[in-house]
Amino acid sequence: MTQFLNYLVLGLTRGSLYALIALGYTLVYGVLQLINFAHSEVFMSGAFGSYLVISAVVGNGKGTSSWEVPFVMLLGVVTGAVTAGAIAWSLERVAYRPLRRRNAPKLAFLISAIGASFFLSQLFGKMFNRFTNNQFPPFFNDNSVAFTIAGAQVRVIQVVDILAALVMMVLLDRLVNKTKLGRSIRAVSEDAPTAALMGIDIDRTISRTFVIGGLLGGAAGFLFGLNFSFFNTMGFLPGVKAFAAAVLGGIGNIRGAMIGGLLLGIVENIIPTLPWVGTEWTDVVAFIVLVLVLMFRPTGILGERLGRAA
Amino acid sequence: MTTADSRALAKRLLACLVGGLVLAVMWGPQEGSQNDYYFELRTSLGFPRVLIFLGIGVVVFLAMTFWPVLRPFLSRPGVWPFLSGLLAVLAGQTLMHWYDPLGDGKFGTVATAVSQTKGISALTSAYFGWLAWTELALVVVLCAVGIALRLRLAAWIGGALAVIAAVLTWYAQHSVVAKGGGIDHSLGWGAVVVGYLVIAFAAGVIALSDAQVATGRAFADRLLGWRPGLPLVIAGVVLGLLAFYVGRWFAPSSTQYNTDFGGLHAVFAPTALASWAMAYLSWAGWVLLPVAVVLAGIAAYLRSRPLAWVAAAVGTLAAIYTLATLYEFSKIAARVAPTFGSTWQNLGTGGWMACGAFLLLGGAGYVAATAESAPQQGSEEAATVSPAAPAQVADEARSRSFLTAPGAARSLVIATIAFALFYPPTATSFWQSVLVSEIGIYVLLAVGLNVVVGWAGLLDLGFIAFFAIGSYTTAYLTNSLPIHPPSWLVLPPLAAIPFAVVICLIAGVLLGAPTLRLRGDYLAIVTLGFGEIIRIIANNADAITNGSRGTAVDPSRGVNNVPHPSIHIGPLHITWGLNQLQYWYLLLVLVVIVVVLFRRLENSRLGRAWAAIREDEVAAQATGMNTFRVKLLAFAIGASTSGLAGVFFGSYIGFFTPDNFVLNNSILVVAYVVFGGMGSLPGAMAGAALLTWLPEFLKNQVPAPDRQMWIGAVVLLMMIFRPAGLLPARRRRIELSADHLEEASSAETIAVPSHVGGAV
Repeated sequence: MTQFLNYLVLGLTRGSLYALIALGYTLVYGVLQLINFAHSEVFMSGAFGSYLVISAVVGNGKGTSSWEVPFVMLLGVVTGAVTAGAIAWSLERVAYRPLRRRNAPKLAFLISAIGASFFLSQLFGKMFNRFTNNQFPPFFNDNSVAFTIAGAQVRVIQVVDILAALVMMVLLDRLVNKTKLGRSIRAVSEDAPTAALMGIDIDRTISRTFVIGGLLGGAAGFLFGLNFSFFNTMGFLPGVKAFAAAVLGGIGNIRGAMIGGLLLGIVENIIPTLPWVGTEWTDVVAFIVLVLVLMFRPTGILGERLGRAA
Repeated sequence: MTTADSRALAKRLLACLVGGLVLAVMWGPQEGSQNDYYFELRTSLGFPRVLIFLGIGVVVFLAMTFWPVLRPFLSRPGVWPFLSGLLAVLAGQTLMHWYDPLGDGKFGTVATAVSQTKGISALTSAYFGWLAWTELALVVVLCAVGIALRLRLAAWIGGALAVIAAVLTWYAQHSVVAKGGGIDHSLGWGAVVVGYLVIAFAAGVIALSDAQVATGRAFADRLLGWRPGLPLVIAGVVLGLLAFYVGRWFAPSSTQYNTDFGGLHAVFAPTALASWAMAYLSWAGWVLLPVAVVLAGIAAYLRSRPLAWVAAAVGTLAAIYTLATLYEFSKIAARVAPTFGSTWQNLGTGGWMACGAFLLLGGAGYVAATAESAPQQGSEEAATVSPAAPAQVADEARSRSFLTAPGAARSLVIATIAFALFYPPTATSFWQSVLVSEIGIYVLLAVGLNVVVGWAGLLDLGFIAFFAIGSYTTAYLTNSLPIHPPSWLVLPPLAAIPFAVVICLIAGVLLGAPTLRLRGDYLAIVTLGFGEIIRIIANNADAITNGSRGTAVDPSRGVNNVPHPSIHIGPLHITWGLNQLQYWYLLLVLVVIVVVLFRRLENSRLGRAWAAIREDEVAAQATGMNTFRVKLLAFAIGASTSGLAGVFFGSYIGFFTPDNFVLNNSILVVAYVVFGGMGSLPGAMAGAALLTWLPEFLKNQVPAPDRQMWIGAVVLLMMIFRPAGLLPARRRRIELSADHLEEASSAETIAVPSHVGGAV
């Protein structure tokens, strides 16, 4: 039972990060009906961006007193988000907008995104390093336990992850449902030409959608790097799984992405603990779940609310 | 200037400066360590260095801003050949190798070596010291003046200087090789020579042309279409002259293994060379080339069909004669210098170049014989355009295909065949292995995926899984896995082909049946998942696949010792060993078979059904088509091609692990297909060949870890500036160039000529 709970917490942590990344996929899919394959690199850039600032602020992390830790974390989230937002904005300008102007076939977008993805991950590798185990400076005790449920220890960092993800999701939900920008995003994903007739600047809306997705992804990148490690190809696997999560929840559907992410994180962490499976099958579980859902409910759990269904 | 204008300008300047910074980082030193993350950033953006890249940004900004002023100059005659020649010269003098035995034998390295060497001719040391760059600068300035001011004299002088520079380059490089000795495969000097000759040609165009403007395409059309086959004759003449005067031929002497064709006769006189091969060396070779050239040239010029057939026959026979002579050489080579190489290896470049030249000349005859009577008036008219109606011309040029000149496409195919047949034996063993293990295999994969992605429009991101299935099937049938087949089922690798193809076909159907009802993007992610599942299963199922080698490379893990292919049918015994060439020709046969089959498929009823589904599935269904079955067929056919490639890969490489089948490879194949031009068979092949060749080429030019970065940048730029791909399919190109819906629909209706339209 304790072990089960441990894995459940682990699943929730990973799942909330997947959900944050999945939101980026789902938002872009909503407005463009395109898979933004370079989003995994946007996520990666967040980790490196926040590292730049954090290591400048806390040095080797030894002298950080405990009251400073929340602020440093907040700083990390913000700088990661800003870096990734900037990268996402440039990505849209460089890899997507010229093709959209030209009315290129859908696959051309995909390929330019793949090119951008290769380019970004290797550029970051060249700029920083290509080791696969970079760590943030240890400015807090990584193993400190926040509380214990039925013998399962929940670490502080896990609480931070889940809380941060929840806060950002709530903010995003408010943004999309209550603000003017959110309304224009919904309008563009509903019917772009009509939205343009209603006076919505489509280019600007799309660009801002990318930035919002980038902000969330960058924050996730920082949290991911803080939890595990960060490196220039870190985006690939979480990116693929987050995309699977977005599809699982119903791509184009914001709440679906949140649920899909959490669900995928939990399932892929719990099923391998069953006696006749094993942790080496974790990645397979994620994909099999995806295939099954798509076969029996192709529009995902919540359906495609934001985007068109056909 | 309004504020909106100045804001746009400021944005553009900012973008250019940022681009300059990114370029500075891309071109920077290698990455830092874990103790010093910022090393690369600090160095690449260091103070004096960053100014250069910001300067590049400013230049780009100025070029973009003053583009309307520059543009008329760019459409003047001779500008494009001039610029491409300049690019070739610059690439040759900065990126490419000049002298292999020096290791990093780039121009600068050779120049340093020359300056330290005593007893080299004054001209050569001057060339490497200062003359090369001065000459280039002079030529550029003169040609630029000629273009900008329409000064014929400047263009004439520039052209003459360019010819002199080409000769000097050739002379200087050869004196370096003569001084330094050793075997030299470098191409840098060749690129410079060709570049200078192109510049000289451009200077001639600048000096001679009366036209105010010339569109490059009309010019190319005129050049290629003036006399069908003539471009091939010219290529054949150049290659033939190189073969007989510059190329090195095998010579069985104890001091040297290579000599000129002129000296061959004397060298082979004491050996027991067959008399007919001796005849080739003493006179037949010398006679055949001019005969073939004159025949093909006259046939092409006079458009005389009978003569053209004679030229084709003569060229082909001469190529076979040359090949037979080379075979006689190789017999002697095996006796004289058995350590020097196996049967067909290391026979020098000259013989193969001669084969290629004769094949080109024969091909020229064939093209001249089969060319339709040219639409003369169209191309002649387009070449000298009156400035009054440029828009009309642009429209016309856009609506026509890339190589519409009669015989142009066929010439290109013949040139490609000659290259594929006769280039590999002259390449270094490194390039031979690249040709097989990278280029060849990925071309085959791209041709297969083109069916799925390009024709049926289904995005398959798990294509490499079928490749893996093919490889593991081969390993199983050749008894190389921990689980063993029944003894009656143990097969040689080539006999495993039908089994692997059928198994991949079944796997394709099994995957496709539940998933093909899904919409495009879902299909992408499901196939991606499938690819990963196959790989992870192969990784984890140790008892069946022997797992992977892991990070601590353990040679006993993974699949080992898959036998190499062999054929034993009646009197025919071929065993493939370690010689890369053998695999290349086997692969060539496989690719040709697949391409011929697919070419038939493309215009068949099934091919048109795929196009219909790709364009509009609902409409296709409404015509009574079983879209599901048609899609499944595309999926299964693509999968089986991938399986075929897998069989080849497994038996070629001998050992493999699941790490050979990562998702990255699937994505790369998709990138190759789309880069080359979706739905276009030549495009898919060209895309795969180019993008697999590029990283290997870059291996010498940029640090190995950076290669993916440059590839990514190339793919990205390609998609931004040419989203239809390198050699777009006819249908797609029409779609993309049509600005209006009406045009698009009319283009769609004429895309299938009425006479091929049957019942669907």
